[in-house]
Amino acid sequence: MNGAELAAAVRRADGGHQVFAERLEDPIAYEGAHAFHFSAKDNLCSIDFQTRSGSRILEGYRPPFDATAIERLRKAGGLLIGKTNMDEFGFGSFSANSAIGVPRNPFDRERCCGGSSGGAAAAASLIEGHLAVGVSTGGSISCPASFCGVVGLTPTYGRVSRWGLIDYGTSLDKVGLLSASSAPIRRYLPVISGPDALDPTSQTQPPLDMSGGVDSVAVPEEMLADLSDDMRDAFQGAVGKLEGMGVEVRKVAMPALRYALPAYYILATAEASTNMARYCGMRYGDIVEDTDLGFNELFSSVRSRDLGSETKRRILLGTFCRMVGLRDRYYIKALQVRQLVIRQYEEVFRDADAVLTPTMPYVAPRFDEIEKMTALEAYHADILTVPPNLAGLPHISLPCAYIGGMPAGMQLVAPHWEEGRLLSLAERWENELQYRIPEGRA
Amino acid sequence: MKIGLEIHIQLPTRTKLFCSCSTAGDEVNSSVCPICLGFPGSRPMLNRRALEMGASIAKFLNCEITDKVWFSRKTYFYPDLAKNYQITQYETPLGRNGHFMVGDRRIGIWEAHIEEDPGRIKRAGRAGEEVALVDYNRSGVPLVEIVTAPDLTSPEEARAFLSDLLIELRHLVGLSPQDETTVRADGNISVGEERVEIKNINGLRNIERALKFEVKRQSRLLAAGKKIVRETRRFDEELGTTLPSREKEFEEDYGYIGEPDLGTFVIGPMARAMELPETPLARASRLEREHGVAAASARQMVLTSWELADMFEVLASRFGGETATTWTLGPLASHWKELQERHGDRLGSNVVPIIEQVRAGRITDAEARMRLDVLAGREAAPAATPAAEGDLEQLVARLVDSHPEVVKDYRTNPRAANFLIGQVMKETQGRYASKEVSDMIRKELEKRV
Repeated sequence: MNGAELAAAVRRADGGHQVFAERLEDPIAYEGAHAFHFSAKDNLCSIDFQTRSGSRILEGYRPPFDATAIERLRKAGGLLIGKTNMDEFGFGSFSANSAIGVPRNPFDRERCCGGSSGGAAAAASLIEGHLAVGVSTGGSISCPASFCGVVGLTPTYGRVSRWGLIDYGTSLDKVGLLSASSAPIRRYLPVISGPDALDPTSQTQPPLDMSGGVDSVAVPEEMLADLSDDMRDAFQGAVGKLEGMGVEVRKVAMPALRYALPAYYILATAEASTNMARYCGMRYGDIVEDTDLGFNELFSSVRSRDLGSETKRRILLGTFCRMVGLRDRYYIKALQVRQLVIRQYEEVFRDADAVLTPTMPYVAPRFDEIEKMTALEAYHADILTVPPNLAGLPHISLPCAYIGGMPAGMQLVAPHWEEGRLLSLAERWENELQYRIPEGRA
Repeated sequence: MKIGLEIHIQLPTRTKLFCSCSTAGDEVNSSVCPICLGFPGSRPMLNRRALEMGASIAKFLNCEITDKVWFSRKTYFYPDLAKNYQITQYETPLGRNGHFMVGDRRIGIWEAHIEEDPGRIKRAGRAGEEVALVDYNRSGVPLVEIVTAPDLTSPEEARAFLSDLLIELRHLVGLSPQDETTVRADGNISVGEERVEIKNINGLRNIERALKFEVKRQSRLLAAGKKIVRETRRFDEELGTTLPSREKEFEEDYGYIGEPDLGTFVIGPMARAMELPETPLARASRLEREHGVAAASARQMVLTSWELADMFEVLASRFGGETATTWTLGPLASHWKELQERHGDRLGSNVVPIIEQVRAGRITDAEARMRLDVLAGREAAPAATPAAEGDLEQLVARLVDSHPEVVKDYRTNPRAANFLIGQVMKETQGRYASKEVSDMIRKELEKRV
């Protein structure tokens, strides 16, 4: 694609599917020498675009620095074409909780892209040769990758620097990559990985090893209980294909995983409620109120107006879980559950290279279905993506079937730091299954 | 009466606790960056020097050192707090269960931990149109918080405790010179059963004032048969009174959670390997113990100057504690600055021979003092010093000749010589050692007997 073609593809994707929170508008900007083009989720700080993290409270915020992942991709010759739409601060599984724009599924505009990196998955699907930088806290890369029919890799916690990533759950957030196939991810993961002086949690990582593969997978039976029938069939079909490739498939019991979802929502919201505290009108959010109000009233007023309802729900949940008298029962207990989940995976990895499940219990829901969901039903959608996220384990979502024209994904989870194995399997998988290209892509 | 203090002292690092901004910013909001301003997407990095200083303080306070420490977020909304949470230590303070001696009173230390300072609110504008502005230069400056047991029994003792603590920490980690005015404390005080907390008092003097006022207030209430209400109060420096704190209508719930960005730090081995320098008051106790110096004298020595105490120790090892104290706190202390400036490291080797001569009786105390004055550059060397042997001989001969009655007395009473000795000493203003003078006089008298 030349610059003009790229500009046209970006414009089409955005026009038809509301992919971008902000993007390069001028076609001239797409011309010139660049090795590749990429987008970044709107919670990654970037110098020449607003960074709003899907929130009205960051309207007009222009960070004075690039996130490390963006900076490294630019240095490698990448052209940042825009910032992709997302749930406000990452709070959602459908990208429908956005104050900026709700992206529409590349395969069906009436359906969601998944969340919270919905715009990123849509960009990866709709723009040829595109690399989308996404972020996952509890499944925000896997979920939209599955719903939009693209490959989404979430690296080990600490593999990619979080400098410049606007926090959701600080101990859970991971910067990762989405693309229509695994090759660009294989190529650019090493670019964004590696220690960064600006993120202490990135400094103890071992080097990225791209040589390993996946010869055996473990399938935790109990995690398949809530699947729709067609999803179960699609998944069984994929398992059969893997066996055909010579991958050993073993059924295992992982009972600890059923506690992952509540533990995740406690930790994620507890951390989120502190991360959101700074957005109070002092420096983020407009003050239209009378400044003679006491600061408590003033802050409450700004936050009530400028934050979305799901954001407020998670602030309340998280604040509740860390209150005196409740903290031990929820926050501390959830920390213990996290250790339990990590140990459960470690046990399974003694006999298997990866853990395999579907990515989501169903294909991308329609917006009218989403509207009818309770918050709890929506949280339940993350049942399969949350466990590896809680454990900080690398995982990948690969398209594995198409149900009624909509893509479905499977998710493979590898031991800490072994992203390379997942990408090797992804490459082999692409010989087994031809991924579909949506009509929306030119 | 029970008083417990939560003391906040700034650690003298060059840079802030979680970023590389200078701690010495002067112009408002000049020493700030995305980290200490809490920009979205920024994250903290720990200043290792602050961790080391904190650990050395915990060790110095005889605390049990926590082997593995991490940081926590203390969340509360306040306009000077950039992130609306403060990064502090909650479950794992650097040390616990220590103590600090004030004289012979042992004051328990519940814990010591490090944390970041918030920014500073400055009010500006005319009365009625006042605005509050925030200076973030202080945001992220490292503090050590020391929490005492309620072992202090009076405001005076609280002040003495703080004053002694600052003396020791000044030497241990090198606090800023303004520490006595910049130290901040929350005071918990109960005269009767119920405890009242006075928040955020600034400076040694105000801490004592606030506690004194509170003692008076609580005592009056109790004397009138009234009850003390458990509450948080603040100190009004201008009025000199404590007032109910309006902002704290209910116990604040800080909802502590871990700070994931910083990770964990194993400080046990580091703290164990640390060799702490001897601090001034510890040194004073040692001088008391080893050389029998009075407590007040020992304290005066170490507080005048560290090197003065060094000099004392040199002198004490040669001449004993008593002589050393007399010389150190007397002539040496009075010209200490000049002596040090002029002689530096060689001072000891210049002073020791003078005192040796006094001890040997070769020179008088007065002459020794004069020589020290000369060392200090205070007085030009007396022209006649050292006087020629012949001068003394002539003077003595003249005096003996003009007092035949003494020569007569001397035959039966050798103590009659004392009169002449006194005369010579007076006339020579102590330029000659008394032994020398008396030997000479006796010699002259013997000649005439």
